[in-house]
Formats: sequence, structure tokens, C-alpha cells
Amino acid sequence: MQGNGLKIGLIAAFLAMTLWYLFPTIQYNLEQKQISELSPSDSLQYVDENREKLASIKERTLNLGLDLQGGMYVMLEVGTPQLILELAGENLDENLEQVVATARERALENDTDFIDEMQAEFEATAEGARLSRYFRNDAADITRRSTNQEIVTFLKAQRTEALDRAIEIIRTRVDRFGVTEPSIIKQGTDRIVVELPGVDDKQRVRNLLKGTARLEFRVAANANEFSSFIQQVYNYFDEKAAGDEGDSLNTIQPNALLEVLSPGQSPYVLGYAAEQDTAEVNALLADENIQRMMPRNTTVLWSANSLPFGVSGEEVFSLYGVKEDVELTGEVIEEATVQFDPATNIPEVSMTMNAEGARDWARITGANINKPVAIVLDGYVYTFPNVISKISNGRSSITGVENVGEADDLVNILLSGALPAPLEIVEERTVGASLGQASIDASLNSVLIGLGIVAIFMIVYYRTGGAVADLALLLNIVFILGILAGFKATLTLPGMAGIVLTIGMAVDANVLIFDRIREEQRTGKTIKAAISAGYSNAMSAIIDANITTGFVALVLLSFGVGPIKGFAVTLLAGICCSLFSAIIITRVVIDYLTRAKSDSVNFG
Amino acid sequence: MRWFETPNFDFVSKRKVAYVISGILLVLSIATIFTKGLQYGIDFKGGKEFVLKFEQPVNVSELRSALTDPLGSSPEVKLFGSETEILVRTDNESAINDVENIITSTVSQTYPSNSAFVEKSDSVGPRVAEDLKSGGLQSIIYSMAIIFVYILIRFRRWTFSAGAVAALFHDVIITLGIFTLMNDWVNFSLLIDQNIIAAFLTIVGYSLNDTVVVFDRIRENSIVHKGMEYIPMVNKSLNDTLSRTVITSITTLFVVVVLFIFGGEVLKGFSFALLIGIVLGTYSSLFVASALVVELEAKTKK
Repeated sequence: MQGNGLKIGLIAAFLAMTLWYLFPTIQYNLEQKQISELSPSDSLQYVDENREKLASIKERTLNLGLDLQGGMYVMLEVGTPQLILELAGENLDENLEQVVATARERALENDTDFIDEMQAEFEATAEGARLSRYFRNDAADITRRSTNQEIVTFLKAQRTEALDRAIEIIRTRVDRFGVTEPSIIKQGTDRIVVELPGVDDKQRVRNLLKGTARLEFRVAANANEFSSFIQQVYNYFDEKAAGDEGDSLNTIQPNALLEVLSPGQSPYVLGYAAEQDTAEVNALLADENIQRMMPRNTTVLWSANSLPFGVSGEEVFSLYGVKEDVELTGEVIEEATVQFDPATNIPEVSMTMNAEGARDWARITGANINKPVAIVLDGYVYTFPNVISKISNGRSSITGVENVGEADDLVNILLSGALPAPLEIVEERTVGASLGQASIDASLNSVLIGLGIVAIFMIVYYRTGGAVADLALLLNIVFILGILAGFKATLTLPGMAGIVLTIGMAVDANVLIFDRIREEQRTGKTIKAAISAGYSNAMSAIIDANITTGFVALVLLSFGVGPIKGFAVTLLAGICCSLFSAIIITRVVIDYLTRAKSDSVNFG
Repeated sequence: MRWFETPNFDFVSKRKVAYVISGILLVLSIATIFTKGLQYGIDFKGGKEFVLKFEQPVNVSELRSALTDPLGSSPEVKLFGSETEILVRTDNESAINDVENIITSTVSQTYPSNSAFVEKSDSVGPRVAEDLKSGGLQSIIYSMAIIFVYILIRFRRWTFSAGAVAALFHDVIITLGIFTLMNDWVNFSLLIDQNIIAAFLTIVGYSLNDTVVVFDRIRENSIVHKGMEYIPMVNKSLNDTLSRTVITSITTLFVVVVLFIFGGEVLKGFSFALLIGIVLGTYSSLFVASALVVELEAKTKK
């Protein structure tokens, strides 16, 4: 028994600590149960009165992963190629565009850094070519004489800065959207991981996260030039159809463009297309000859939202002709709010510009009376109003939004600021709350059933010894949960699997010990001597086996992501706890059972 | 109750039989992997996956053909656990919002009176898939290397390291082979993804656990029974630890079977891998790892 006082103290301290960390989780679940038993109005009142208390408990509960509580995991990547093209600005030429396109493919293929690939590709295109031709920045001391290496360092710094700004902006957007306990972290050089527990409205979140929020005010295309362009475009496809006729037997080929795009009346609208046809229209218009017909400083942009069209009320999108020059950007917007059109009660976003913006806006509207201007967000035309008179108060509004939710998000995006570079969703995982609950139930069931079967088996096989091992096993699970709560780790579904697995493997140490004790008994030792020899002789095997498994868990922890990390954490916690409970707890109990000389323990 | 109390099986002399069995399994596995190719899930291949929850059961092949045209290619459609949950996997590269819209609108047109919602969705871009794949591969290689070094340090013999690591490769390759072969036959997903890598590493850890316990006994017996011939001594160590090997395998198998049956659809592939791995791991520590040590020791002695 000597020295067991210390062991008992250790066990008590460890147990007290884990219970302390688990207490908030238990308390929270009890509170939730109580709330769910109240009537709806009472429960609302209760939650309201105890808001702070509940929040403080919740903060200390065991974190559940998104796969268990439901929610959204999104990994965003900064569009470095677009950022580079943007940085080149006016110096951009076809050569750089080509280099960027090639480097982009190569970086994907070789899994390398895009900027490094770009440098290599650029230097390969021409001997002694200098990147300084494209990038100039006085603040960063990047001049015509800067070496390519300096430029690359500069570009990488710009990317980091863009990433940091993007994180700030995403954080503001998520906060405004209102998610409890979101997590937004940087990953690597160009990625952001956003975790949003409990979020259900996926489509809204995706648009909210990746919208660059580039707001532009542009003037419509020149009416005369654009209407003759419209004429030319349809004629071109007519001729093309006629030219193809020869192949088939006298049937007149339909005009490929008319198949997907219906011409309109307005001199500013190239045509209307259904949503599924817009990609086809883009492909047809990408034709080099069409691009050549396009009036100078003009481009076409799709409308953001559809209009009901024709008798069937089919939803169609308009393709507008607008000037390429951007007159004003979103930076001038000082305030944005959701308002409702008094006549139709349709939501719209009303914006107020700062003094400088208002002055420009007055000039632009003054010069374009009776012509439309385009309010463009992220490349889509939201509003294409006719200017009736000069607007001098800096007011403008985005109409044509579908619902209040979209209007709210637009306000959010406008006020959070524009992203320095576009973000792309490169990985996304969502789990609905119902599936999460089903996973919790399934894994809890597995824990209980697994525990039951193993416990019974151990008692049948090792009798009293088995019962002691079962006690250790039970404490083991409490310890694991306590450690997870204490270290603020997250319990995921693979983590739950890790716990189930630990149940099976945790008894291993006791199996080793008990088998050894039986073996020692066979050599004729007294029960106490056998126990003592059993524990000490089994030790080296237990330690070796657990250390090697521990290494594997550590490797998983450093390479795995998300839920797998959760698995590694529980596995690691399981290894430590099972060592503790199998070696120390069972020893104390067995020593206690054999405290008198005549005492014996049945190991089956 | 006592099983294998004083067993005296001649494991080592049966090693030739084990070599044949293992050899056949390995060749079959490698052949399957090479002919069919490893069946990657979207984690390692990229793509999009949606689990739709319906109110009533739907016909899988009917849904597949309904989705083929709008998605531009035939998607993989299979049941996900229950009759009313369906998994749709597509390599359509459009933005996730668009793909989800295509699927939900097609579903509501095809089954107007059977409403469905997306209860789980996963989308992995090609670059991320590449990263995840190399991460998974690295984790397996690194863990093998660390194990090799640790056993070398602990047991001071490279033959032990080599035997243990070879047994681990044996387990992982055969499990991979079984996965590749059976993916078309079973009604749950056996595609290789992050979860499966975690399962492989667990198998590695488990199989190693068994092997190390045997090695530990060999080391002990080589000190206690100094005069004993090498082969009988290894055999004795295997027999000494046999009861423990079997009992631990049984308790672990219990929980893994429980996990397989009750753990839910998401963990099916994971627990299946563990199921195979534990059986293989037990077999390999009894017949492969120690046998290789005997073989290598005999070689080095000459």
C-alpha cells in the first residue's frame, strides 16, 4: 500500500479537474432541457432573463465540430493572378497576360507557388526580361531598376497584405450577418478558412463571402454606335448560318445567336436570354470578329437579376451595352441602407456618397440627362436607370434586388468595403443540423453499446480484475471528455469514433497486465507477488505500444485537417488517459482489494 | 475463463504458409490497384457531393438519368444510409451555388410531391484536393519512418524495424486492395478520402501495438532464456503473448463492429477499414512481422 496515498491524491485531483471542466457542459445541457420543457413564451422569457449566464456557460462547454452541430466550413483562396494583373494596372500587356495564364496552370499542375511560377515563366519567355516594366510602387521603393527578385518579394508582400485585408473584410461581413461563434483564420499564404456553426442559408453565405463588392458607376454605351453594333452582330450570325448551309440538304441553318438571345427594342440592350443560355451567349460573343465590331470603349454586361418576360413569365436576363470607363467606384459610398419603394414596397439599397463622390455624380448625371447610367456590382448590372435630371445630393440606389435578405447583404458588403482581390471558394463543407444531430445520436449509441459489450466481456473473462478494468475504462472516458473541454479542443464525428476505438484499445493495457498476473500465478507466486510482478513486467510492453501509437496520433495531428485533427486529438487524449487509468487507477483498486493478508482477487 | 493459457503453436515453422497467403493477397491487391486504379473520393480528386434528404424513397437510377442532362454528365447517385437519403456526386465544375441550384430544381421538377433538402454538401477544388492528397501520403510515409526509427532505438535491431514496417505496409496495401475491389459491390462508399487515411493510420497504430508487444516479449525472453535457439524463442514469445493478442483483438473488434453497425453512414467506410485492418493487423503480427525478423536475423547471421 505504500505510496498509494500519492496515487489516490493524483487520481482525485485529476478527476476533480476533469469534472470542473465538464461541469459547464453538463450545466448547459440541463439548462437546455429545462428550457425545452417550458412553454414557448416562458422559455423565451427565461432565455432573455438569463442571456448573460447562458452565454457564459456556453462559452465553457465542450466544443462540437461542425459535423456534429451543423454548419458551414468554407475555404477561400485569394485570386493572386487577378491581384497581379490589377497591380500591373496600365502597364498590363498581352505578354504579361500570357505569362500569368501559363503560370496559373503550372502552379496548379505542380502544386507550387503561383508567383514563383510566374517569375520562372516570365524569365523563360525572354532573356533578361525585367518584371519592373510592369510593377512600379514608390511607397515600396519598387522602381524601373528593381531586380526581378525584389519585385517577387514585393508581389508576395502585396499578396499577404491582400489576404490580411480580405480577412478583416470577411470578418466584418460575417459579424454583420450575425453568426454566433464564427471562426475566421488564415491558412498558408493565400487562403482563409471560415467556420460558421449553425448557418443554414448556404447560398446567401457564399455570395456574401466571395463578393468582391466592386461597385462601379458607368455610363451607357453611345446609343447610335451600339444600335449599329447590335445590327452587325445579328447580321454576322445570319451570314454565318447561311454560310453553313452547304453542308446539309438545303435546310436553312438557324441563326445560332437568335437561338439563345432574343433582340430587344432598346438601343442599349443587345438582347435577352434565359439563365441557362447566358453561358452560350458569352461563348458566341467571344468570337474575334464580334470583338472587332464592338464600338471603342464599350463592353457588354449582364443584368444581375431577371425580369419576367413574355406571356409565360419566363425569367430572362438582359445584356446591356455600357462604357468600359468606370466613372465612380464604391469607395465614395459613405452610407447604405435598405429602403422600400413606396409605390411597390420592393426593397432597394439607397446609398449616400461623400462630398467628392457627390460632386462627380452631379457632373456625370448632369452630362447624361435622358441617357441611362449603369450601377454595376461585381461585373453585373444591378440598376440601369435613365437619368431624368442632374443629381447633386450624392444619392443613388440599387434597385432590382430580389428580396430583403439580398438587400441586407448588399448593404453589408458595401459597408464592409471591397475586397482587394477576388476570393474563390476552393473547399466547402456543409452539414445540416438534422444530420449533425443524427451523427451525435449514432456515435453516442456506439459509445454506449461498445462500452457495454467490452465491459461485460472483461467481467466474464477476468472476473474481479475485469470489473476493476471496467471502472478504469469508465473514468477513462470522463477524463478524455474533460481533457477535450479543458484544452478547448473540438469534438468531431471522427473524434467520437476515436473515443469508441479507445474503449476497445484502452483495455489493452489491463489485458497485458492481467495476462501477466495469470502467468506469474502459474509460476507459483502468491497473489500479491504475482500482482506486483505482473504490473512491473507488463510495463515495458505497455509503454512501447502506447508510445508508437502516440507517434501515429501526433503525425495525424500535424498533417490532418478539420475533423481528422479531432480524431487525432481524442486518440492522443485516449492514449494518455488509458495509460493513467490502466496503470494507476487499477493498481490502487487492486491494492485496496488485497490490503489484508488473506485477501485475494479473482483474475478469472 | 481462460483461453490459450499455455498454448504451444508452431507459428514460425508455419511461416512459409503465411508467406504464400500474404503473397497471394499482396499480388491480388497490387494487381487490383493497378488495373482499377485507387478509387479516390472528392477529397483527393476534387468535385462536389450532395446528400439529399427526401420525404419518401426515390428510385436511384431514375434520379440519375434525370440529373444527367442538366449536370452535363452522368453523376454518381447512390443511397446514403436510408431509403430516403441519396448521395449525388458530380464533377461539374460550375460554382457550387449553380450546381446546387441545378440539382435542387431538377429534383423538385422530377418529384413535385416528394420534397427534398440538401442535408450535407461537400465541394473540393482541384488544388485543395492535390494538397489533401499529398498531406495524406506524407502522413503515412512520415509515420512509417518515425516508427522505423523508434523501434530501432528501442530494440536496437534494424531487423525488428524492418519486420514491423514491412508488416504495416502489408496491412495497408491489402486493405487498399480490398477497398478498391469492393467499392462496386457494397452499398456504402469505400472511396479513399481523409477519413480513410485516418483509419489507415489507426490500423498502423493498432497493428504496431500488437507487433511491439510480441517484440517486447522476444527481447525479454532472449535475456531470460539465454541458451534458447532463436526460432523456438520467437515461437515461445508469440505463444506467451497469444492470449493477450486475441483478447485485445476481440475487444477492439467488438467496438469496431458496433461502430460499423451503429455509427451512421458518414463513418461506414472508416469503420469498415478498421474492421479489415484489425483482422489483418492481428494476423500480420502473428505471422508476418516476427517471421520476417526470423528471416532477416538468419540472413545477417550468415
